Amino acid sequence: MVLSIVLSGLAIGCIYALIGIAYNVMYSASRVFSFTAGTLGMAGGILGSLFILKMGLPSWSGFILALAGGAMLGVVTEIVAVRPVLKSLDQHLYVLSTLALALIVQQFAAIEWGTDAQPFPRIFNLERNNFDQQFWLPMLACVVTIVGLEVLYRRTLIGHAFLAIAEDNYAARALGLPERNLRMTSYALAGVIGALAGFAGGQMMLAFFDNATQLTFYGFVPVALGGMGNNRGAVVAGIVLGLFQQAANFLVGGVFASVAVFAAFILVLLARPEGLANVALGRRV
Amino acid sequence: MDMSTTGVRPARTSLLRSPALGSTLPWVLLTVIAVTLPLFAGGYWGVIATRACVYWVLVAGLNLLVGFAGQLAIGWVALLTVGAYVTSVLAAGNVMPALDPYLALAIAGVAGAIFGVIVGLPALRLRTFYYAITTLGFATIVRQIVLAWASVTGGGVGVPGPIFHPPFDSPWGFYYLCLIFAAVCTWMTANIAGSRFGRALTALRDAEVAAEASGIAKSKLLMVVFLFSGATAAIAGGLFASLQSYITPDAFTTELSVLFFIGVLIGGRGSIIGPLLGTILLTVLPEFAAPLVAWSTFLYAVLLLVIVLAIPGGIAELIDFKNRRPLQSNRAIVPRPDLLKRLLTQDTEPGRLTLEQVALSFGGVRAIDGLDLTIIPGQVHGLIGPNGSGKTTTLNVISGYYTPQGGVAKLDGVVLTELAHHARAHMRIARTFQTPRIVGEASVLENVMIGGTIDGRGTFVESLLSLPRHHKDEKMLRESAMLALSAVGLEQLAGVRADRLQHSELRFIEIARALMLRPAFLLLDEPAAGLSAEEIRRLGALVVAISQAGTGVLLVEHHADLIFDICHHVTVLNLGKMLAAGTPAEIRSHREVVNAYLGG
Amino acid sequence: MPTSAANPPSAAEPLLRVTGLSTGYGKVGVLRGVDLTINAGEVVALLGPNGAGKTTLLRAISGLLPWQGSVSFAGRDLSGAGPRETVKAGLAHVIEGHRVFTQQSVVDNLLLAAYDLPRGERSARVEEALGYFPEIAEKRHQRAVALSGGQQQMLAVAQGLVQRPRLLMLDEPSAGLSPVLVDRVFDVVRKLRETGTAVLLVEQLIEKALALADRVYALARGSIVLEAATSEADLPHRLEHAYFASAPAAAE
Repeated sequence: MVLSIVLSGLAIGCIYALIGIAYNVMYSASRVFSFTAGTLGMAGGILGSLFILKMGLPSWSGFILALAGGAMLGVVTEIVAVRPVLKSLDQHLYVLSTLALALIVQQFAAIEWGTDAQPFPRIFNLERNNFDQQFWLPMLACVVTIVGLEVLYRRTLIGHAFLAIAEDNYAARALGLPERNLRMTSYALAGVIGALAGFAGGQMMLAFFDNATQLTFYGFVPVALGGMGNNRGAVVAGIVLGLFQQAANFLVGGVFASVAVFAAFILVLLARPEGLANVALGRRV
Repeated sequence: MDMSTTGVRPARTSLLRSPALGSTLPWVLLTVIAVTLPLFAGGYWGVIATRACVYWVLVAGLNLLVGFAGQLAIGWVALLTVGAYVTSVLAAGNVMPALDPYLALAIAGVAGAIFGVIVGLPALRLRTFYYAITTLGFATIVRQIVLAWASVTGGGVGVPGPIFHPPFDSPWGFYYLCLIFAAVCTWMTANIAGSRFGRALTALRDAEVAAEASGIAKSKLLMVVFLFSGATAAIAGGLFASLQSYITPDAFTTELSVLFFIGVLIGGRGSIIGPLLGTILLTVLPEFAAPLVAWSTFLYAVLLLVIVLAIPGGIAELIDFKNRRPLQSNRAIVPRPDLLKRLLTQDTEPGRLTLEQVALSFGGVRAIDGLDLTIIPGQVHGLIGPNGSGKTTTLNVISGYYTPQGGVAKLDGVVLTELAHHARAHMRIARTFQTPRIVGEASVLENVMIGGTIDGRGTFVESLLSLPRHHKDEKMLRESAMLALSAVGLEQLAGVRADRLQHSELRFIEIARALMLRPAFLLLDEPAAGLSAEEIRRLGALVVAISQAGTGVLLVEHHADLIFDICHHVTVLNLGKMLAAGTPAEIRSHREVVNAYLGG
Repeated sequence: MPTSAANPPSAAEPLLRVTGLSTGYGKVGVLRGVDLTINAGEVVALLGPNGAGKTTLLRAISGLLPWQGSVSFAGRDLSGAGPRETVKAGLAHVIEGHRVFTQQSVVDNLLLAAYDLPRGERSARVEEALGYFPEIAEKRHQRAVALSGGQQQMLAVAQGLVQRPRLLMLDEPSAGLSPVLVDRVFDVVRKLRETGTAVLLVEQLIEKALALADRVYALARGSIVLEAATSEADLPHRLEHAYFASAPAAAE
């Protein structure tokens, strides 16, 4: 029993962590948060089920196509909902534009895919046991993503360029770095990561349009607690969140678990400086 | 000047008609249609109209929160849920003997007010996106609690909604009941929008630092608005439950919550008619987007995206014809300093404002390093120095925005210890900003009236109900603001939207706003930047006149000419320390000053 | 050291010609009709009081800000060009405040400046730039946050040099630096002139700038108020007068 809680907690925690990383990658590239991160997760699950179960494609093809779909969604987000509002004087328009886009995609999924949760295929033809693929797939995805991002940021020039844009956008521009292309690529990358979360977590969460809402919230908690743009923090916070949620579910039951998670989230957020509105990163006046 | 193109709005706030309602025609049309609806529409459309009224009761309150205060409360359905269940459970008698439905509704309103404050508290501390996500969490939590607490709420099975007494128990009767609630909510929110509270909210939204410098207490005002919005949303919930006849948790979806939020923004911020039309659209859209309900949400979201990208002002901007009239192009700012005596009446003689050995560091950098400064009432004190010398930081310390880490600031010998950003306004210390901070969507007059917010005597409730003291306040503020505008030379632009004005005009508007505090001390942060030579000359004359009326002026500037022309006393800063101080003539010939200023 | 000019400096056609440049931020006009030329291989100082628009002018030329008027560089019209295009054309802009990427190493900072170059050339260019600044060459693998302010300024200049510009624009490189380090940076500028690179130097240190430059422009209240060769007499006085004189009636 304890094992089951730990495994499911780790697995769901890794899904949340991956969505958190998607939030972070978009944030690092543009200094804004996008509501579409949770939608990307939903898309990964639905596209996976669509390609493999409905259209009968082999697992690898379905996987690649689902990730490609995520990348496309990411690019669309950048072009339609982020780029046009970055230049605006009104600083909070991005909340509305990304909210609108997320809702559009989610409603489209509800219309075309249906409002019921549909099954997600088993990826590997293995027997079910305690340490089942529905648990270790998300964990594997999380590890691969973290390692991959580490390699990207530390060892490739484009990864350095991403870091440069995130640290000092103006200096990067002045140096001649292709800021707009880099941002678009970052959003495509975030799309891939979000879709990966949904695909790897498909067996746990099923292909369900309402996953978007759940992932939008629970995927943001790791960001809020781990620090904006901090991927390692997101992983730690995501795993803690997953374990806490599953343990609470088992011990006190669904509702009280949710309330406990939410209350803990609010309290930590109010106490941690990263979430506070009055932190002056520069001179406001 | 041609008054016909830039005329001022008539200064009338009557009991029934707040200026925030905009032009009368749409309201007359709506009222006529609403009242006579049963004559030409069938029962089916009656239900739709009732639903629109119920939604509007919620959105009207949410409008103050989202449209005016700029808070991203996208999870407000939580309040609808609370109100619906409190009303239904109390009226049905699940836990205690059944209550009269009106009493249940009232109790729901109180519950909504309390819960509204709870949901609102994080807004004071969290960044916008974080707060938006938090409200989503609240919405989910409330729904889950309702689902789980089956003994009271009926869980997934639900409870019957309340039925009101005749004549409101029939469908059309209930429609008129909801219409009455909708009309009252419209009236009340319009009253607030047209009051100093509504203007203070928009100031907090668009120019928070300037709002606080005018004395507006952000926390207190926001909490009052959360309370009000929570109450109206809960009452809407009770009416909603009655309309549905039977409620289950499924009715209170996150989609619905986001749709309410979108309705305010599609309508346009700072407007009443806009969000109302947005709400009607929201209610009616599913009828045209058949067969799937999801299409209507889809279309609504597309509409929001289009509006954000193309017409950020929403429906309200589309129907705002008054602000499309062209402005006169060769406008000149002609101050009338003689009017200042009427504006700046001083009751008592203020003492001096002093900084003694003030020190302040940011990170490892010493921004101010042991500075002494004295501002004397009736004199203009210039503060100059190279970039990064600490001029604006010094001004921020005097205006209370930063607290010195070493040394003290004193007013009349008394050490200033108030930590709140809005406290200095009450000591009649006013300021302007390096980049003008104004509410672009409000008129010039409204922007200046914001400066006098703390002089109002009426309470929020008195404004809500359009009571006499509210009207007295409005009249007083309007007259003072016109006087201030005339003094700085911009009275002909009083009715114009502020974001249509030139940069130089915005600088003078900031001065007019600051004058509303009848300041004992006026702190000006590089007011000459971006002004033409003639405008600088007039600015100088205005500042001199302000000081002659008894105000002590601190003038932070780069424009050496202006400093040397009008200052009685000049302090030169370099690297956070005083390099030299004296009369303009002394400074002008001071070798070290010339070097530091020119570099070398 | 390879020269950066493909052709020897020509007296006829200026390398950079700015005519009637106007720009600002939002509603605030800052520059009103600025005219300026720089010839290949010369060092030009741009002086002026705070708020005059010197940084704004550099930002306009390098494409960080939109502008009206005319800017041509090496015969090319720069209308609509952004920083990436101006860098490729041979114009490097070292911005104010020694802003380098603190979380990355010295070498990585320089590699980023070589982003658009073919992969094989990058290391060579990085070594070439480090050759000007042995002080930071020996710290090449340290993160920029470990460098002092002066060393970060040298790194920022080195980033500009990686791009082998024909014109290098430096925005107040001496700000916050000790006199010794200022001299180091100015030495590098002298070396650059020898190799035929033109330099546009915005500075607050009047005496040192006048000693280094061939020509000087003074910018005040949004337009050029003085242009002279640094060999001319009585320049400091003339500058002071230009800074503090009453402005001519400004066009709106």
